[in-house]
Amino acid sequence: MFDAEKFVKEETEKLKEKLTDKAMIACSGGVDSTVAAVLAKKAIGNNLVAVYVDTGMMRKNETEEVRKMFENLGLNFKIINASEDFLTALENVTEPEEKRKIIGERFIRVFEEEAKKDGVKYLIQGTIAPDWIESGGGERDTIKSHHNVGGLPEDIGFEIVEPLRDVYKDEVRKVARLLGVESKERQPFPGPGLAVRIVGDITKEKVEVVREANAIMEGIIEKSADEGKIEKPWQYFATLLSSKTVGVHGDLRNYVYIVSIRAVQSLDGMSASYSKIPHEVLEKISIEITNKLGDKVNRVVYDITNKPPGTIEFE
Amino acid sequence: MKIFVVDNGGQWTHREWRVLRDLGVETKIIPNTTPLKEIEKENVDGLVLSGGAARIGWESARLGEIGEYLNHAKIPIIGLCVGHQFMALHFGGKAGPSTVPEFGKTKVTVKRDSPIFKGFPKTFIAWESHNDEIKELPDEFEILASSENCLIQAIHHKEKPFYGLQYHPEVEDTEFGYEIFKNFIEICKKYKSEK
Repeated sequence: MFDAEKFVKEETEKLKEKLTDKAMIACSGGVDSTVAAVLAKKAIGNNLVAVYVDTGMMRKNETEEVRKMFENLGLNFKIINASEDFLTALENVTEPEEKRKIIGERFIRVFEEEAKKDGVKYLIQGTIAPDWIESGGGERDTIKSHHNVGGLPEDIGFEIVEPLRDVYKDEVRKVARLLGVESKERQPFPGPGLAVRIVGDITKEKVEVVREANAIMEGIIEKSADEGKIEKPWQYFATLLSSKTVGVHGDLRNYVYIVSIRAVQSLDGMSASYSKIPHEVLEKISIEITNKLGDKVNRVVYDITNKPPGTIEFE
Repeated sequence: MKIFVVDNGGQWTHREWRVLRDLGVETKIIPNTTPLKEIEKENVDGLVLSGGAARIGWESARLGEIGEYLNHAKIPIIGLCVGHQFMALHFGGKAGPSTVPEFGKTKVTVKRDSPIFKGFPKTFIAWESHNDEIKELPDEFEILASSENCLIQAIHHKEKPFYGLQYHPEVEDTEFGYEIFKNFIEICKKYKSEK
């Protein structure tokens, strides 16, 4: 069985040995990269700086929450707002792999720039097993290029260090609980963020719509779980689809987008089954999304696909 | 106990490694191009042939040296998904595109007793992910389990300690997945003690 205590001890030792100079941790505030940050801090203390990139594709209030968490952790950190860069780079891009590669490259350029400023030799990432597995290579097919693996350009100016490469989400959580990491139970959120929760082309307006839809979905699911109405899913989110359908609003026809909501149970994200959420909860989510976002969304569908054949995120 | 996982490029190869490690087995993922001699040097007690993206009908060359292992390795071997299909093909059977491919949740029914299904109920839920299947089983093999859309879900060799599963016992959503690995470990232990 996976032994979190042993893992922390061994990985901290390895990092101590490996990181002979200043290092930077690419940290989204999620459980993987925050665990990697805490391990690296244990190993090299103040020679570590955490960099969080606001891609403009983050969830509601996310950047502020991460800032607070970094402060609580006592990390040296920087929050870089690169929203405009990301949005411009993604303009008119519809193909999911292209989106992921552009995002991977944007991330690394930001880190490169920051690394130069600080004279950093190592970039630590919270890459876990499914990231490199799904990114493919050799005999393995590429399912999705994860932004921290397959999306990386070939010319990078520092060495990449990945202490969590061989572990899965459930194992990272065990380490996070042991280390008392605040985001230990936070649901997975993909590195490319809301960009892969908008099927097809990305506009500022669509980002706002999907951000709000995700906030509604998260709010109702979490409340229902707290009230004991449902088992808390492993992951739960909303995706803005690219097709429009007809609706009726106050005796007027409208023709706007569909939001697909999805919730899954999983251990490690490598296989998943859709959550059997009661209709009453689904209905509540549907009503809130279609009312709050009525001029943009008039239809909500619930995704009942397992993985495989589907993946968890749409892109 | 030392069991290696031969990587045919599957999405769940690393999961096989994890399950074996969780069960206290010494394990390692090795490329399917590893020469048999190197494996023999390590005194391995069993092999898992992982699944992979290779289409069995026309891409079996992507499966490297695994035919050599089946010909000469003197240890138990379990093939999963494409590893299972290859086993049948290698011993003279046929494998190719499925009549009805299966993805995700399926019900599997055990048809015949075998050490690999020791302690199993008659039916259980399994996770599938395959475009191909075994079409014709060589005489040395027997069918152990079936599903509605795939007759040959599990096989064993009548004389050698070789087993094949079309479904994926290594993923968390499959029922009794760890039990398959526990049973395989027992098979390896028994084989070793009788050697």
